[in-house]
Amino acid sequence: MRREDSLTRHVDWWLFGIVMTMLIIGIANVYSAAYDPEHPSIFDFSQKYGKQIMWVSISLFLGLVVFLIDSDIYRKFAIPIYLFCFSLLIVVLFTPPINGARAWLGIGSMGIQPAEFMKIATAIALSSYISSVNVKQQNMQTVLIALAIVMIPMVLILLQPDAGTFVVFTSFFFVMYREGITFDPLVLKIVNSFPGIRFKQTWVGSHFIPILFYVVFLSVITLLMSKNQYELTFLPGVLIPGFIGVISVITILAILSYFVLRWLSAKRDRSRVFLIIITGWLLSCTVSTAVNFSFSSLAQHQKDRIELVLGLRKDDDGKDYNRNRAMAAVGSGGMFGKGYKQASVASVRSNHVPESETDFIFCPLAEEWGFVGSTVIVFLFMFLLVRIIIIAERQRSAFNRIYAYCVAMIVFYHFAVNIGMNIGLAPVIGIPLPFFSYGGSSLMSFSIMLFILLKLDSQRRDVLS
Amino acid sequence: MNLEGRKYVILVFILLVGSIYLTRLFFMQVVDDQWKLRAQEIAEKRKEITPPRGVIYDRNGKKVVTNKSYYNLMVREEEIVDLDTAAFAELLGWTVEKVKNRFYQIKKGEGRYYNKNTKKWQDNYQKQRAYPFIKELSIEEITRIAPHLERFPGFFEDLTSMRSYPFAGGANIFGYLNEVSREEVEEDHFYRGGDLIGRAGLERFYEKELRGQKGIKYVVTSAMNNAIESYANGKYDTMAKQGPALTLGLDIQLQVYGEMLMQNKRGCIVAIEPKTGEILAMVSAPSFDPNLMVGRKNINENYSKLVLDEGKPLYPRPLAAEYPPGSIFKLLQSLIGLQEGVITPQSGFPCTKSMVGCHNHPGAGNLPDGIKYSCNPYFYYVMRRIIQQGKKKSMFADAEIGLNNWYDYILSFGLGQEFETDVTGMRPGLIPNSAYYDKWYGHNTWAFSTIRSISIGQGEVKVTPLQMANIAAIIANKGWYYTPHFVRSIGNKGSLPQFKKKHYSKVDPIHFEPIIEGMRRVTYEAGGTGKKAAVEGITVCGKTGTAQNPHGEDHSVFIAMAPMENPKIAIAVFIENAGFGGVWAAPMASLMIEKYLKKKVKDKEKENYVKNANLLNVKKRPSKH
Repeated sequence: MRREDSLTRHVDWWLFGIVMTMLIIGIANVYSAAYDPEHPSIFDFSQKYGKQIMWVSISLFLGLVVFLIDSDIYRKFAIPIYLFCFSLLIVVLFTPPINGARAWLGIGSMGIQPAEFMKIATAIALSSYISSVNVKQQNMQTVLIALAIVMIPMVLILLQPDAGTFVVFTSFFFVMYREGITFDPLVLKIVNSFPGIRFKQTWVGSHFIPILFYVVFLSVITLLMSKNQYELTFLPGVLIPGFIGVISVITILAILSYFVLRWLSAKRDRSRVFLIIITGWLLSCTVSTAVNFSFSSLAQHQKDRIELVLGLRKDDDGKDYNRNRAMAAVGSGGMFGKGYKQASVASVRSNHVPESETDFIFCPLAEEWGFVGSTVIVFLFMFLLVRIIIIAERQRSAFNRIYAYCVAMIVFYHFAVNIGMNIGLAPVIGIPLPFFSYGGSSLMSFSIMLFILLKLDSQRRDVLS
Repeated sequence: MNLEGRKYVILVFILLVGSIYLTRLFFMQVVDDQWKLRAQEIAEKRKEITPPRGVIYDRNGKKVVTNKSYYNLMVREEEIVDLDTAAFAELLGWTVEKVKNRFYQIKKGEGRYYNKNTKKWQDNYQKQRAYPFIKELSIEEITRIAPHLERFPGFFEDLTSMRSYPFAGGANIFGYLNEVSREEVEEDHFYRGGDLIGRAGLERFYEKELRGQKGIKYVVTSAMNNAIESYANGKYDTMAKQGPALTLGLDIQLQVYGEMLMQNKRGCIVAIEPKTGEILAMVSAPSFDPNLMVGRKNINENYSKLVLDEGKPLYPRPLAAEYPPGSIFKLLQSLIGLQEGVITPQSGFPCTKSMVGCHNHPGAGNLPDGIKYSCNPYFYYVMRRIIQQGKKKSMFADAEIGLNNWYDYILSFGLGQEFETDVTGMRPGLIPNSAYYDKWYGHNTWAFSTIRSISIGQGEVKVTPLQMANIAAIIANKGWYYTPHFVRSIGNKGSLPQFKKKHYSKVDPIHFEPIIEGMRRVTYEAGGTGKKAAVEGITVCGKTGTAQNPHGEDHSVFIAMAPMENPKIAIAVFIENAGFGGVWAAPMASLMIEKYLKKKVKDKEKENYVKNANLLNVKKRPSKH
């Protein structure tokens, strides 16, 4: 074997390049957002930008360490790693709370969040477990063990409480879906308990996760839009209710995807593609309309409760305060933005958008670089995710593939929720934007996560199975 | 089960979210302007900096209107922590109730607005904004309060500037400032609610000059509404510019002296520099200290008091009070008679008391003596010759031509019309012409005998004290005048163009000589009616007047100019219900002349005599002159 002299030979430079690009833009962005004229040097370690450079360096060093370790250990030590992080999650519950949550372990400001590392541990454990299961022979036990691996840490995280990371853990369900761990045994058990029904498998059971998420996603968007009214520039005076907007977007996407899929699929499949799109479109419109009208038929106090959860309430101290200001920052960027260090709403010193260097880091970016800059960021994430999935699909080992999917889904979740709350399409849940948000724990955990993937990928040819 | 397809489900899902986000971003950032407005609302503040108003100097360079710093006690509710209302009330010297009420008032005073998005009415009041809790505290008051403010977070002091009058005089000249009304804010975008605007006098007339230019500073503000930095490095900022200083022709010491002399009297003094038309003093009595009308607090307290005051101190008497001029009018009749050639300086008329009454005096054998004695029949004859010149056969038609001719002369002396000047609140007075009497009596039904009372300045004729002083100025200049005005120079640009234009009366300079001689005799010769106007070392030319008043005691009038050789001051004194002009108005005029020309009044006895007189409730009714 020529393993030693080929340490960097099979590295996926695309992935590495994208991550490095993000880290560099991230530092520049934190520098701009948190800029303090009294400390102009970017290397001033009393400032957040100086610290961010330090965290990036530490993360890259950890990445290097990870890269020097043989990737075999993750599969071998999946359970000890999982149990170690799990015990940290328990220990953290006995620490004094910081900002109302028991999430930090460590001394002073140099703490870490065990939940961040639990994501990696769970990804490894889940990959290890699923790769050992024969999907074709799965039963109730398989589902329950897989669910337990994901859901037990979720319970502990909810106890902290850390709603953001809790939500992120549901990304593992997508991985389970991709790997064919279905909810069918559960669904069948329930369905078949009705007398006279004997199904061997259900469509809903096997596609349970994406359907559930699509419905939730659509409902949340419809609810968020339910109060908005749009006036089109070419149709002044006509107010279009929010859910019509949602339905229009769905329709446009359906038409687009029809042409794309028609072009991609074989001739004999076309009628099936058409049917799927029509069905999907009809169902989406029905869900959106139904949610909209059932919401408006609710009693006021019920509406209030839902609005509070979604952050729609006009409340100065509530969550909508942040969301509204974040959206103002993003929306005021215009096409080309206000220019570097010119953010007036999102700058940390102005404090209009709280946490604009961490959870709302997208604000200064979008305000300073406008739609052009936002597009670059969204495209970078799309490239990253597509690249990870390409990497996942080329793995010979199931463990590697599943792990890659875990990484993809975790990053996707952070991307979707974080940017979503900046543009009013997701409820305000405090989770960082990977590689951009200020903060050590998130940077370190994402770097380790990515470098493990890079290492696994670079050693994919060594794996026989 | 084919799991290969599922990777596409995930890919599509990821790309779907990405494209939805891009669509949304495009909509928010490029299409929809709502968020740009919202961002401006949140972070960018246009801070307007109001400069202090332009200051005003008198003719000797003394500051007569200046700015004084005051403090507002501000409150920002957001920063209030556990307010000890009782202790705070004690610090202010208020009741707890009043403190609570004040909070409520501030909130209510800001009003409400309709929020289109939520479809609800919302308060304009914002907790994170600073509002004045107490306005216009003096430096003494704030130095008492300020040291204790750290016990009350959320309260702080803020410096503002307001008018101040170092000399407690000239209130009727300077006018006052008050907060702009809603209509004014809508009409002129210069103003914002709470700004001050000139309400009367010079402050009102020169509002556009005195207010200066507001500076606009665009700042990026923090969530606490504190300015963090200037927006775009101050590229769009403009500097505030104080309005130019006004230099007046007014002599503030003369003005204050005049107000002092006029205490306990009703009436006015107007003094003009004949060579320039600059008003040297314009006393309106009763008067008030202009400092009473500075600031919202004072205005609220004092305005209604001044309005309700019996003496009507806010009424601009020198400009708006239209009095019958009385005997001073005889000077104009003489001038017109001479110009028309119907009399000569040597004309003599008997003192026949049949048509108009008169006092006992020797017969006037010439015009100067007629003026000296102020002989009513004399001017009755003069006027008859002016009106009835025999140009038409019909007496009525003849009177019509004569009156309109006379009317044109009178108007050339600046009467019967408002001056185009920087004094606001002026009334035109009244000079009748044929149309006026036609309306009264009917066409061709009146002749001189009908309107004879105007020959001695009674009847329909009405003149304001400012116009009376201007008559004196015209006589001093022998036939011309500059429109009487206050401001000699705006900044260093000189006065307004209309004050640089000489107006000529229709009487030639030569005819003024006998009139001036007559006025000298009034003061200095035996039998003169205004001997109390004499000043040692200065030749004062004057003319008494006694204006009949149907409502009570006659008004005492005196106009004068001095020195005779080179007149530097023309003056009119009008004292309501003070009787014969020579008794009170003449000595008052002489004191003013002496004060102005010599800076000091030697004759303390005369000064006390005038100063201490209380003519507000005169019962006695002396004989008319």
